Amino acid sequence: MVVKIRLARFGRTNSPFYNIVVAHARTARNSRPLEVIGTYDPIPKKDLYDNLGKLHKDIKLDMTRAKYWIGCGAQPTDTMWRLLSMVGILEPKHRPAAAVSKTAQATKS
Amino acid sequence: MPPRIPISSCQSQLLRNCLDHAPSFSLSASPALASPLQSLAAPTPQCSRSFSTTPARPATRLRRRFLEWLDNKGAKYRTPRGPRGTNYVTRPVKTGDIYDDKMPFPNNTLFRSEPVLSDRARELIWTSVMKEGMPLKAVSAQFHVDMRRVAAVVRMKEIEKKWTRENKPMAAPYAAAVEAMLPRANLSSGENRFEPINDIHIHSYTMQQLFVPTSESREFTREDAAKAFGDYILPPDAKMRIPELVQLEKNRAAGMEPEQARAAFIKSAAQSEAAFATNQRARMQAEEERTTRVRAGRFEFRFEEVNADDTGSTGRSRKAVGWRYGVPFYDRKRGQVKIPTSVE
Repeated sequence: MVVKIRLARFGRTNSPFYNIVVAHARTARNSRPLEVIGTYDPIPKKDLYDNLGKLHKDIKLDMTRAKYWIGCGAQPTDTMWRLLSMVGILEPKHRPAAAVSKTAQATKS
Repeated sequence: MPPRIPISSCQSQLLRNCLDHAPSFSLSASPALASPLQSLAAPTPQCSRSFSTTPARPATRLRRRFLEWLDNKGAKYRTPRGPRGTNYVTRPVKTGDIYDDKMPFPNNTLFRSEPVLSDRARELIWTSVMKEGMPLKAVSAQFHVDMRRVAAVVRMKEIEKKWTRENKPMAAPYAAAVEAMLPRANLSSGENRFEPINDIHIHSYTMQQLFVPTSESREFTREDAAKAFGDYILPPDAKMRIPELVQLEKNRAAGMEPEQARAAFIKSAAQSEAAFATNQRARMQAEEERTTRVRAGRFEFRFEEVNADDTGSTGRSRKAVGWRYGVPFYDRKRGQVKIPTSVE
């Protein structure tokens, strides 16, 4: 069975919080996974005593385990691919929108 | 029930005589009743009501004793204390009554305010910390103000000064009015100590009676006592907020000059605070090193490195990363305290 790296939604109504899990593809979203390798808090936070208004999102991740599971052939979902590519574990995915704009520029020139 | 006089015999002169002889305080003292009496003097043959003509009883023993008391002990209750104070018998009044100013609302006797730091006192604390560079522990020990309060005063004063620089409007009249209502501590010499500064939390394990056999030749210290009570019980010296004060007292007892002892205390306090700051910086540095910051679009993503193996042998360790599986969450349960413990 395919092993996936995906998000499992926890938290409450209107306050999502995700576990980054490694699980079999066909198991339920919140069922007990093979392993929890991190968390993802999608709600943007402000820094304490920071009045610049810059927001950040907190992610906890065991990079070693993530790399291990990728090496084993685990398939990250799109969201997880985006997050993993931020820390350089994966190549950023091909973005169709960007590609279209590039080709449009090429045809213009 | 006093005997009633029928209406026909209601003679004004008789009534006046009776009233004149009655040694009643309320009647003779109040001028408001004088005019009805005057009008009664006019010839009024018919009265619509019956009046009691029984002379007022002579002062009872209780009343006599009350008047005596009012002349001696009770004299201090005759006038109210101050412009905003009441003077009730139910509250004991002593000379130099410390409760005098503790009641900001005279009619709310249940609210007794503890003294608050006056603006002058807060300025004094701020000056010692920020201008003179004294360690917080030393300032706390000098003024007998809790270290946490000293830190809070400095923070608030900093904000106040920042706002003054930025010309932000401040509710100064309001602050002055509230301060005027409450008992204040100016932290001047001769005042009572503001609050205890070195209290320690008493662990329930240390409240039990223990019989620990130990040899007579051995010195049984507070550290040993703590160890006897439990593995994780700290000795009082480790629990108190300003343990340097112990050394200060020891130095004094050993005959060190007070100035010298104080200098040594300030030095050790400064050292311990510097060590604390270094630790804190190191912790923040370590946290920063664990974190990778990625600027993507609108938000910054902060990846913190964690260890997935913290789940423990059962997979249910509290240190484990993420929302836990197979355990109930009580955050929605009735009767649970949901007050946040930190403000962000």
